[in-house]
Amino acid sequence: MSQSLELPSYLEKEPAVEDRFRRIYQRPVVLDVAGLGKTFHAANGVVEALRDIHFKVHRREFICVIGPSGCGKSTLIRILAGLDYPTSGAVKLDGHEVSGPGPDRGMVFQNYTLFPWLTVKRNVMFGPRMKGHQYRVSEAEARKWIKMVGLDRFENSYPNQLSGGMKQRVAIARTLANQPRIVLMDEPFGALDAQTRAQMQAYLQQIWLNVDVTILFITHDLDEAIYLADRIVVLDAHPGRIAEIIEVPLPQPRTPEDFISPKFLATRKRLDTLIHPPKMNDEDRLPMVKMTEPGDDVI
Amino acid sequence: MNRRPSWLAIREPLSPRKATALKLASFLLPLLIWSIVSYVPFIWHPMILITSAGDSDLFVKGERFTRELFASENVGLVKDGLKPGEGYRVNPVFLPAPHEVLKAFFVAFKTPPYSKGDPWLHQSLWHSIQIIMWGFFSSAILGVPMGILAGTFDAFSKLFEPFIDFIRYMPAPAFGALCVALLGIDDGPKIAIIWIGTFFQMVLVVANTTRLLDVGLLEAAQTLGASRRRLVINVILPGILPNLYNDMRILLGWAWTYLIVAELIGASSGISWFINQQGKHFHFDNVFAGIMMIGIIGLICDQFLALFSTYLFPWLPNRRGTSMMTVVAGAFLFFPQRYLWQRGRDKAAKRAERQSSGSIAAKPASVATKPFPASIHEASAGGAIADVSIT
Repeated sequence: MSQSLELPSYLEKEPAVEDRFRRIYQRPVVLDVAGLGKTFHAANGVVEALRDIHFKVHRREFICVIGPSGCGKSTLIRILAGLDYPTSGAVKLDGHEVSGPGPDRGMVFQNYTLFPWLTVKRNVMFGPRMKGHQYRVSEAEARKWIKMVGLDRFENSYPNQLSGGMKQRVAIARTLANQPRIVLMDEPFGALDAQTRAQMQAYLQQIWLNVDVTILFITHDLDEAIYLADRIVVLDAHPGRIAEIIEVPLPQPRTPEDFISPKFLATRKRLDTLIHPPKMNDEDRLPMVKMTEPGDDVI
Repeated sequence: MNRRPSWLAIREPLSPRKATALKLASFLLPLLIWSIVSYVPFIWHPMILITSAGDSDLFVKGERFTRELFASENVGLVKDGLKPGEGYRVNPVFLPAPHEVLKAFFVAFKTPPYSKGDPWLHQSLWHSIQIIMWGFFSSAILGVPMGILAGTFDAFSKLFEPFIDFIRYMPAPAFGALCVALLGIDDGPKIAIIWIGTFFQMVLVVANTTRLLDVGLLEAAQTLGASRRRLVINVILPGILPNLYNDMRILLGWAWTYLIVAELIGASSGISWFINQQGKHFHFDNVFAGIMMIGIIGLICDQFLALFSTYLFPWLPNRRGTSMMTVVAGAFLFFPQRYLWQRGRDKAAKRAERQSSGSIAAKPASVATKPFPASIHEASAGGAIADVSIT
């Protein structure tokens, strides 16, 4: 990125985008994260993982959470899913405080966590079965979602016969079959190669556009966050706290061409400065010694 | 460009042919060494088997003496002008040759016991298998659920495991006297020894297997709405099943090792009684045959369970290469069948030849099978098998 390129401010939005955000904020709040804090008791004393996390997720909104490593992204999503407990604050779903895991908050994990002993169909049927639905009902439900992620040819395959991208599609179908109020995704495409990842992002966008679903998505990939999200919650590390909540100034749905649009780059630059501060400490620099012969330079 | 696969490539699987060859060699090499020691006289053969005692009053025909003793005795005899003893070099009585053991393997089943009323070999074997099964299953019925509970709930882990860890270090045979005092001298104490030998290990092994289940699966199931009971039944149980099955395979092997001690407690019985009895009568070919029978039963059992697991757990990735079971099955089934088939074809061809040459004397071809000796069935009616029961 050349320095001379004049980028617009990431805060400036077209009227249509401005209007869309206004409509989003009028929708009911699905998830209300109110003053969340979390401290661990480690060997070297008390570690504050999260401090005073506040944000609201509106219905059918797509929210991304990004931050440098160690900022407590995973702790945050685990608390939202009920797999971990906050030391202060509360999580409210549709206005009611929740504690412990439940089918109203579906979760997609980075390492798929499909049940290896169940076929694709049986994996997707797991949630409906746990709700006490009849086998036939669950099966029909599962088939619908398997078809939606384009894996109907594989419904009788076992997870270890599928590729990483296909596994994650099954995991998404399994979560959606439960019809949760919000889908929490913890770096779901982090283990995939770049091509599959781009494909999965497009799939997820299609699902989000066509299904009544609210998504909270954790990633460390800045482009992924801008491409998918309505708003991006940027966390800061030590302790994990909100640095800024950015409204992405691009109209939905996004296309691959958006990756080089000035507004995208402006947002990207802002995220870069928030997550990777421009100044480099002396201890971060590698102690380099010149080990090549004169005249042997690469430049 | 075409890399030639090496026999000693680090952490790379061999080609199926090489793998099969080595699997066969792992059995054939020890057999080869045994054969060389047995059949090549100058390798070891430290004894002389007397064929003629001569004028010696020391030598007995058919007995074995060390070469040194044989030589010095003969030197003395020759010096005194007496007829020296004759004999040939043999191995000690405790190392029979492979063919003798192979013969004993088949003959042992047909040889009646030394005293009337004692069990035949097949009865002893069956008795041993029953002891193992009772001991193993009674420990599994309690041990597996306790292990799963301890691996799932920390409360049970803390309640069970410290005491079990303590008992685990007490060797099972040490409980022999106690078991006899409590349960009598018949099968009760034997089953109890196998129970003690496997149960405590089983709880700890199963608990550990349960703990190894990916926590991610439990968390995923929870976010899908699984209750605590559902987690145990629908996630933990199916999740650990393949590893549990493997644990059971290994622990069944342990049960066999405890069997030998168990059977010598109280009134000795079963295959180890047979081995001991044969040892007392210096029939070491039978001793070897008995030991090998245990090994073969164990191997076949284990390989069968391994083969069966691929059908039980179709989701597991397939292992490459021929299984040991295929090799064993091939060795035991394929070759004799093919041989018989070949012989049948030869016979048919001969018959056809004879018929075409105009001879009417062709007899109907019947497979010549020797009837099993009737005496075995008579003996089993004598009630030689003690009733197997947990008292």
